[in-house]
Order: sequence, then structure tokens, then C-alpha cells
Amino acid sequence: MLVHLQGSWSPALGRLCMKQLAFLHVPILEYTFAVVALLGLAAVGAVTYFGKWKYLWREWLTTVDHKRIGIMYIIIGLVMLLRGFADAVMIRLQQDMAIGPHSPGYMGAVHGYLTPFHIGQIFSAHGMIMIVFAATPLLVGLMNIIVPIQIGARDMAYPYLNALGLWLTGGGAALVMLSLFIGNFAHGGWYGFLPYFELPYSPGVGVDYWMWAFQLSAIGTSLGSINLIATIVKMRAPGMTWMRLPIFTWASLSTNLIALTSFPVLMVALALVGMDRYLGTHFYTAGMGGNLMLYNDLFWIWGHPEVYFLILPAFGIMSEIIPTFSEKTLFGYATMVIASFAIGGVSWGVWLHHFFTMAAAPSVNSFYSITTMLVGIPTGVKIFNWIFTMYRGRVRFELPMMWALLALSLLIVGGMTGMMNAFASNDYMWHNGIFVVAHFHMMVLVIASSIFGAVEYWFPKLFGFKLEQKWGKWFFWFMVLGTGFVFVPMFILGLAGMTRRLDYIPYTAWGPYLHLEMVGIGLYGAALLFFLAHLYVSLRDRESRRVGADAWGTGRSVEWMTHSPVPSYNFALIPHINARDEWAWRKDNGLTELHPGDYEPIHMPKNTGVPLVLGAFFFTLAFGLTWRIWWLTALSTAAIVIMIIVRSFDTDTDMTIPPNEVERTEKRRSDRASDFIATGVPPYAGGPVGTATAYQRLPEPAGGTGASSGGRL
Amino acid sequence: MKNSWKKVRHGATLLAVGALGLFLSGCSARGIYLMHPEGAISKTSFHYFLLDVGIMLLIIVPTTLLAIWATMRYRKGGHGAYQPQWSHSTAIEIVVWGIPLITVGVLSYLSVKAIYAVNPYNPEVIAKAEKKAGSTPLEVDVIATDWRWLFVYPQQHIATTNQLVVPRGIPVRFRLTSTSVVNDFIIPQLVGMIDVMPGMRTKQALIADHRGNYLGFSADYSGAGLSWMHFNTHVVGKRKFQAWVSSIQKTPQSLSYKGFNRFARPYIPVGQKTQPIFGHVKPGLFDFVVREVMRGKTWNTPMNMTENMVAYLKKQSKLQKEGYY
Amino acid sequence: MSAHSTAVDPKSASLWARHYPGHDVIGTRTFGFWLYMLTDAMVYAALFASLVVLSHASNMVGGPAPSEFINPRVAYEETIALFASVLTYGLAMVSLKKGSRRGVTGWILLSALLGLVYLGLSVADNVNLFQHGITPQTNGFLSAFFAIIIYHAVHIVVGVAWMLVMLLQIAKEGFSQNVVYRLINLRLFWHFQAVIWVFVFVFVYLQGVVL
Ligand code: HEM
Ligand SMILES: [Cu+2]
Repeated sequence: MLVHLQGSWSPALGRLCMKQLAFLHVPILEYTFAVVALLGLAAVGAVTYFGKWKYLWREWLTTVDHKRIGIMYIIIGLVMLLRGFADAVMIRLQQDMAIGPHSPGYMGAVHGYLTPFHIGQIFSAHGMIMIVFAATPLLVGLMNIIVPIQIGARDMAYPYLNALGLWLTGGGAALVMLSLFIGNFAHGGWYGFLPYFELPYSPGVGVDYWMWAFQLSAIGTSLGSINLIATIVKMRAPGMTWMRLPIFTWASLSTNLIALTSFPVLMVALALVGMDRYLGTHFYTAGMGGNLMLYNDLFWIWGHPEVYFLILPAFGIMSEIIPTFSEKTLFGYATMVIASFAIGGVSWGVWLHHFFTMAAAPSVNSFYSITTMLVGIPTGVKIFNWIFTMYRGRVRFELPMMWALLALSLLIVGGMTGMMNAFASNDYMWHNGIFVVAHFHMMVLVIASSIFGAVEYWFPKLFGFKLEQKWGKWFFWFMVLGTGFVFVPMFILGLAGMTRRLDYIPYTAWGPYLHLEMVGIGLYGAALLFFLAHLYVSLRDRESRRVGADAWGTGRSVEWMTHSPVPSYNFALIPHINARDEWAWRKDNGLTELHPGDYEPIHMPKNTGVPLVLGAFFFTLAFGLTWRIWWLTALSTAAIVIMIIVRSFDTDTDMTIPPNEVERTEKRRSDRASDFIATGVPPYAGGPVGTATAYQRLPEPAGGTGASSGGRL
Repeated sequence: MKNSWKKVRHGATLLAVGALGLFLSGCSARGIYLMHPEGAISKTSFHYFLLDVGIMLLIIVPTTLLAIWATMRYRKGGHGAYQPQWSHSTAIEIVVWGIPLITVGVLSYLSVKAIYAVNPYNPEVIAKAEKKAGSTPLEVDVIATDWRWLFVYPQQHIATTNQLVVPRGIPVRFRLTSTSVVNDFIIPQLVGMIDVMPGMRTKQALIADHRGNYLGFSADYSGAGLSWMHFNTHVVGKRKFQAWVSSIQKTPQSLSYKGFNRFARPYIPVGQKTQPIFGHVKPGLFDFVVREVMRGKTWNTPMNMTENMVAYLKKQSKLQKEGYY
Repeated sequence: MSAHSTAVDPKSASLWARHYPGHDVIGTRTFGFWLYMLTDAMVYAALFASLVVLSHASNMVGGPAPSEFINPRVAYEETIALFASVLTYGLAMVSLKKGSRRGVTGWILLSALLGLVYLGLSVADNVNLFQHGITPQTNGFLSAFFAIIIYHAVHIVVGVAWMLVMLLQIAKEGFSQNVVYRLINLRLFWHFQAVIWVFVFVFVYLQGVVL
């Protein structure tokens, strides 16, 4: 062995032993494990009971359809969002209990109920999950679904790689979840500290879990970005010039350029941690010629672009929602595009602001202070442009719009506090403090709000019915209230000089604010319940809220020109693009016919189970590496290489949908649309009749009103 | 539609009033340390903080008002005239780029000025004060271990743990290093953060204006003991400081290099009542630590200290009772 | 100003693209591979940046200075082998244009062989260093040094393996669309390794002689 390991190791099981099965002897985990196991059993049972295994395998697990892959990304994201929220509740509860030297301790902790080692794992998992396994999959999922439809494509450039990216992300998420029960997770924070993450200070497997899970998701996201860029550049419908590209697609392009160039740097940063921990090299060690600052540089060279990788699609979503619900063209389209790329470009030159306090010369800090503030310019421009989009519009306050407006207000707060951080002399006072935490949570909530808005906005496109509004509004308002209660006190604590990642708060003067934050957490909890009610009621009453192609009546871009739910091939005939807001332009000119007829055969990729199996092997590879089970590592590597090679010999990867089948599917959609016209439920109450006109011209239904699940989406 | 609009307004007002109330009560309350600077550096920082926030509010408040006005006036059924095709105005675009550009320009200028005033590698504020006072600065060597602060006074050959005593009105110059991982040294009311890194030395400086007790802590995450890695900064008069130094010098404990190796082993000072003090410190301890770490010395965290922390803390508290630490 | 002002006359506008041939598969795949190469270039950039950061005297504690152990002659021989391999692969692409199966197969075989020669030289050199106690574990500088060299060597292994797979696929499928775009991508990959090698040669070997 090249490195000295504390604890036992055996060839068969590596570092794994009974003692490491944490769910057997840590009380909190016993319950968690029981709940998770029950839920898992229930899910398996339900699938078996309803006989859906085959359906699940054929239609979802082996799919290469970009929409379904996107939906699975979003499901992973939502599950992990829930996990991340549970972590947040635990952190807040500990900080609510462990205040002052006289606060009691429970379950073996000196104060509160979590030992420092335990809370360390929780906040690390919280941060990493929220950024890497919640926000990223949610946004990647949305881009996956919407971008091809918005550019009038049937598919993506690399459907098979796309599925692989999904399963790599899934493997990483599974690894993080597994660390809950087997072994433990990193305990130093989501971005890692060197040399704290070296073996002498983090002797367990936690850091290894963190590193490999991160690495899997990084590979997955890079693959995804290649796919999205190639799709946008090469697969736009005829007539879609660059200046007619929908704004969300622009945002996706800029954000994936960031991902493409920055994720490799993260992979290096993590790989070098791995070499230090596995091979005993000295990249980041304090002694022996290592350089711990190198890690900070490499990590944040990825880390800062990464936060813009997350926010740019959110900006794109806002730029789609606000015009639709202002019933007006986006103000300053070209400026918006320029601003996106300016943000992406500048985001490369600011990373040092994450360690202004690392004893750099004043000239260096000045440089990075200025570059960081430069980001504020395009961001500010975007804010103004959204305001001027509403100006002279007709603003409707439906749920997507409400979320977009919430995102806009949070962006103002987050942007201002970001600028305060960028002012380096301020940052000297509160770097590594709660103020920074409050700043980036504002920003992350901008992203979350946009995502919720996007889900509301595009849900009907994918599933053919709208989500209900009543519980959705409860959900919205409790999120607003929760945010107020959690983050206003947090900003105050930031100005109090409270630092991050505390297990125990020594000063009772801070108590009241921490208690207020706990109230906010309660409100968030209530919001979660409303969210579930929102989903449940929506699903239950879906028949009464069926919609046509243009679900909101005022859609503007190409995705509203195909059926809801979107057929697997997206467009029976590829649209020819004539204007920037093509659908709005067609509506203005009365060209809303969506059934041109005369269908042609359609080429589509065939489903394949290879990406899923590859993802599984990557998971076992990462697991083997984490626990240093070398035979498993070797076996998984061999399996991966062999599978990739064997798959490259497979020539039977495509299929053709014959025109009569296309016609059948198209008819089925129209049947469903005429269904609700017959029941007299208007597609959209109070909006322009774009949807209705699209369907009123239809011929009478020819076939039955089959709503078979197979043809959906 | 009307109804939900009312809700929007209602919620917003509620939130705004609540937030404002909280902020006002917050800033005047106890424990909001950054808003009550007591030293030359922190006061300068605070001055620029106010300027920074003020200038930004000049832009942000009108922008927010504009946003609210636009959403209200141009809501469906509102009074605004509807012009669905209007999407470009060169004049507006110029203003829209111009305002942030100018603001950022002004802020950049101020930021650079502020950095040069307080950055520990060029603290103009301290340099000016030193010139004016003509007094030689006090030197303190700070060594962060897992998880305690050792303050060595090299001129006085004494050392204290988790307790810093400095004279009022005299510049204090710190050299900082760490035995194990990165820490971050801060005393919110006196001076901002500087990283404390193993195998390297960093600098910091402060002048305290008033007598009193000020909290200091480690900010960068350094492991399990972080939450207990705080220290008290006691600012006293010059004469009292001399008296304190001689009282410490009378303590029999001394700190040798070997003794330091023992002292630096991982220890979470939970429930610690008294902090070790050393009446004599072997000269050159600070450089010794830097050198040793550069050569690859580490004070490893034992695995059962992390994975079995409950048991570990129990054992440690027993040892504490026996006076082991 | 209207957002539609640039738009087409709605009366004569074409709305649906009938008989649309779809996107150009080979072009898209090649473009995607360029993007992939860009990510790999970023990996190298990060590694070289690390090497620069770790090239100070303080990073070389406990080990020899680069000039004491770096052997530019071996690097020179490696360069010849690799560049010859790239050249022969280029000739394979010329044969591909002509549609000559025998030509393509033969040149690729030769390229793979030259790649193996390169690997042999590289392994021998590194084993020699290890035997003299010059290892990645010695100090920070050597960690970075070996990381770059080994990462590059891994690429060569992948390239050679890819060539062998392509030989099989050519035998099985001839010049199908898949085979052709893969051959084009492999050329890109292989040339890229030569370009990176120039950087390795300059920054690792030549600079090593100077330092
Ligand atoms: C106007 C634009 C922004 C500016 C000027 C800005 C500035 C900063 C600065 C200077 C820091 C470092 C604070 C410190 O660690 O001491 C920071 C931290 C951070 N920012 Fe921003 N920021 C901006 C936008 C964003 C956006 C859009 C996001 C998106 C999520 C974001 C997420 C973060 C995160 C996650 C951190 C802290 C990471 C950590 O330490 O864990 N920021 N920001
Ligand atoms: Cu940043």
C-alpha cells in the first residue's frame, strides 16, 4: 500500500466491515433507514402489483427520448432536493438548540443533538446535494426537455450519451445516499478543504464518497454539455437563424459552454485529491512540496463558473415566462444574449473572490474585486430588461409568473449582497461567515424559484394538463414567508459576524435570530406539504385541466407549436422558422394550423439498456474505489471498457416510424383536444384563443378516444 | 386574478415591514459585532461598508420601485397602455447599460481604496498610526492547532491559549501559522479575516481603540473542534498590560519544542475551564513549527475521534476532570 | 420597433419543412468530438497550470532537481515515434479518401505499432526513474510531473486500443457511416495527442533541463 490507512482493510471487502454499517447502530439512521427501506419496498411492491416492470424498463429505463431523460433528471433532482431539505432542517435544529454554554446535549452530543462530526457530514451533504444533485439535474433536465423542442428538432445530437449522462448523475446521487447508511460522508463542507481532506485529517471514507460522487456527476454533466451544444449548433430547424433562437436556448448554449470548459478543471481538482489520498502524492499536502492553495484555485476556477452555469438557465427561464405572461415581446433580445455571454465570459476571471483572505497582495485583491463587480453590469441589465418587458405589457399573475417575479426580487437582493461581497474590504469581515451563506442562498433561491416556475410553465406541454392553482399558490406564499423568516435573520447574523458551519454557538445574543430561522424552517415544511397537495390534486383532477398545444394561450416560441403532451418525435413535420417568436408570429398572422398532413417516415434512435448498465458499473466502480475493494474496481473497469467496445459494434441503433403510424399518433392527439372542446372546458380561461383556434379547424375525430399510456409524451 | 393580486400586495407589504423591523431591531441589538467596530482597521472597513451600501441602495431602491410600478400599472386590467410589439428602444438600452456601468465604476474605485487601506499586506491605516504614535508595535505569533489558538509573545517569551491580551492604542502585528489545516483568524470588532495556513506564515495587524473584551474566532472550517476555537481578546491599558506580562512570566510552566509537539495533538476544548499559559517559551517556536510542517510533519486526527465521536468526547471529559489537559 | 420586422411575408412563408433531410450525422458527430477534445484540452491546461504552480524550489524538497534526472534524449525518441505514428495515421486517412481498405488497414496497423513503440520507451524511462527512487510520492513537483506524463500515456493506450477496434470494424462493416466518422474522430484524437506532446516536451522536458 502506498498510503497509511487507519482502521482495518481486507482484500475481499476493503475497508468495509460491520462497524461501518452505520444504520445498524446510529439511532437517527436506524429510523431513517427503516423509512427509506419501507418506501423502497412500497415502490417495488407497487410496480410489481400493477405489473409495470416491463413498462418501466421499456419506456423509461432504456429510453433515449430526450424528454423522458429530462423527466428522470427532474425526478432525481426533486428527490435529492427533498434529501437536501431534510439536511437543512437538521442543521437548523442543531443551531437552534446548541446556543450558549448552558444549552443541553442529547444523544451523546455535548450541546444540541448532533456531534460535530455528524453535523459536518450533514452540511457537506446539504451543500453538495443541493448544487450538484438537485439544482444541476433539475436544470439539465429542463434544458434536455425544452431545447430540442424549441429549436424544432426531433432529438438530440447524442441520444445515447445523453442517457449515459443521466445514469452517471443517478449513480453519483445513489452513492451520496448510500453514504448515509454505509460508512459516512465528507465532513468539511461541500467544496472541500485542503489539507483537511487529506488522509491525516479525514481518515475515513467520507471524503472518498464525496470525491467519487462529485466526479461521476462532473463526467455526466460534461457529456450533457457536449450533447446540448452540438444539438443547438447543428440541429436547428431550417430558418432558425441565430437571431431567431429562443432566449432559453441561448441561455442553454451559454451555460453549457461554461460547463464544457469548467467541469474538466473540477475533474482535475478532484483527481488530484484522489491521488493524494490513494497514491500518497503531494499535490495539496502542507509539507513535502505540496501546495494547498492550488486546490482552492482549481476548485474555484470551476466553482465560480459553476454558479453561473446554474443561474444562466434560470435567467433563460425567466426570460421565457415573463414575456408570455406580459403578453408581449421580450425587451432587448440582443442585449439579453450579449449579457448572457458577458456573464459567462467574466465568470472565468473572478474565482479569487472566494479567497480574498488568503493573504494575497492588495493589487491582486483589487483586480479580482473589480472583475467580480463587472458581473454586476450584465446582471443589472437583465433585471432592467425584464422590467421593461412588463412595461407596456398586460401582466397576468399566474403561478409561473409569480415564481418568475419572486426570482426577480430575490435576484435584486442576491445581486446586491453579491456586490457587497465583491467589495473586498467587506469580504475581509465576513468571508467564511453567515453573510456569504445568506448571499448565495438568495441566488440559489433565484434558481429554485425559476425551476418551480419552469415546472409550472412547461408541465402542461409534457403531460397535457395544467397543474392546479390553489395549492400551488399556498405553496408559493409559504415559500415566500419561509424565505423571509430564514434569511432576514441570517443576513443580520451575517452582519453580526457569525461564522459558517458551527456545531455550537457560543453567544446567546444570537439566539433569537436562530430561533426565528427555525420558524422559517417550519414555514418551509408547511410549503412542502402544500407542494405535495398541489401535485396530488393536479394529478387527481387532471381530466378537467387538459390543454391544447398552446397551454397558456400566449406562448411565443416553437415548443407551443406541437401537441401537449409532445409526441415522441416532437414534430410530425419539422417546422420552418420565419420569425424570432415563431408561434406568436404565426398567431398574429392566423397561421395556427398544426396538422399540415402528408406525413413522412421519421427516423428515431432505438432504446437501449447499455447506458443504464454502464451507469451501474460506474457506480460499482466508485463504490469499490471508495472502500478500496480492488477486485470490484478492476472488474467494473473491465466491464465498462468491454461494454463500450461491444456497443460500438452494434449497428442496429435506429428505427423508422412509418407515416401511417405518425398519422395515427397525430390523430390521437387531435382526438384528445377535440374531447375537451366538446366538454366545453375552455383550454385557458380569459386568455386569447390561440389554443382553441389551433384545434377548431380540425376535422372531426376519426378513431376512438384512446388515451393509452404508450403513446404519451 | 384580482384576488391573487391583492395577495401579492398583502404579502409583499407584510414581508417588507417585517424585514425592516427585524433589521432595525437587529442593528441596535447586542451581538451585532460588525456594526460596532472598535479598532482602526474595523472602523475603516465599516466606513467603506456604509459608503458601498449607500451607493448601491441609490440604484437598487429606485429599480425595485420601478419594478413594482411596472408590474402594478401594466397588470392585466390595469391602466397601462398595451403595446405588445414594443421591444426595443436605443435610449432605454443606453441607460440600462449605463447605470450599472457607472455604479460599478464608482464602486470599483472605492473598493480599491478600501483594500489598500485595510489589507493586512499593506494596511495604510496602521502605517499611518504607527508613524503618528511613534511607538514600536507589539508582536504576537499566532499558532493554530487542532483546535486551539496559541498566542506567543516573542518579545516577552510568554504564551497563552485561546486568550489574547493587547494594550490599547498600540499597533499589534501578528504572524500566523497553523500546525495542521487552514484556519481563519478574525476578531469582528477589531480586525477582519486572514487565513492561517500550515507550512506558511501570513500577516495581520490591528489597533484597538478602547479597553474591553472582544470575541475572536476561527472561521475557516478546520474540523470537529472548530465551534470551540474561539478566543477572548482583552484590550487593556499600557500599564496594565505590563503588569499582566510580568504576572504570566512568573508562571512556572514553560513550552519547549517537545512540549509543543504534545500540545499540538488534536483536542476539542469542550468544557475547558482554564486555559494553559506558559511563563517561558523557547525562542523560535514559530519558525520551528513552520519548518516542521514544511518537512511533512502532521498531527493526525485519530479515526475514532471522528467516527466514534460520542465515545471520544466521553473519554475526553473524563481526562479533563483528571486534569490531563 | 417590432420584433417581427425582420420576418418573412406571412402569405408566402413556408411553414413546414417537407422532405427535410435532417441534420448531417458525420458533421454533428465530428463537431461533438471537437467539443470533447476541448474538454480534454482543459484537463491538460489544469494539469500544466498545476505543474507551473508546483515547480518552485520549495516544491522539490527531498528530491532531485529536474535537470538531474530528466532525459531529453528519451523524450526526443518518443517524439519521433509519436510523430511518425501521426504521420502514418494521416496516410491512412488519405487511403480512406481513395476508399482503399487495404491502405487504411495497413497504415493504421503501422500507427498502432509506432504508438506501442512510444509507450515502450515511456514505460522504460519511468521504470528507470522509479528504480532510482524518483517517484510521484517524493514531492509535490514530482507528483505533477508524473501526473502529466502518465495521463498522456493513458491517452496513447486508449488511442492504440481504439485503432485496434477500428481495424475490426473496418473488417466487419467496411466504410459505413459509423466507421467513417469514428476514423475521422480518431484522427482528431491522435493529432491532438501529438499537439499535447509538444507542450509536454517543452514544459516538462526542455524546461526540466533548464531548471
Ligand atoms: C452579481 C453577481 C454576483 C456577485 C458579485 C457575487 C459575488 C460573490 C462573492 C464575492 C463571493 C465570495 C464570498 C466569500 O466566500 O467570501 C460569492 C460567494 C458565492 N456566490 Fe456569489 N456573486 C454573484 C452571483 C452569484 C450567483 C448568480 C450565484 C448562483 C448560485 C452565486 C453563488 C455563490 C455561492 C454558492 C457562493 C459561496 C460558495 C461557498 O463559499 O460555499 N453568486 N459570491
Ligand atoms: Cu464566485
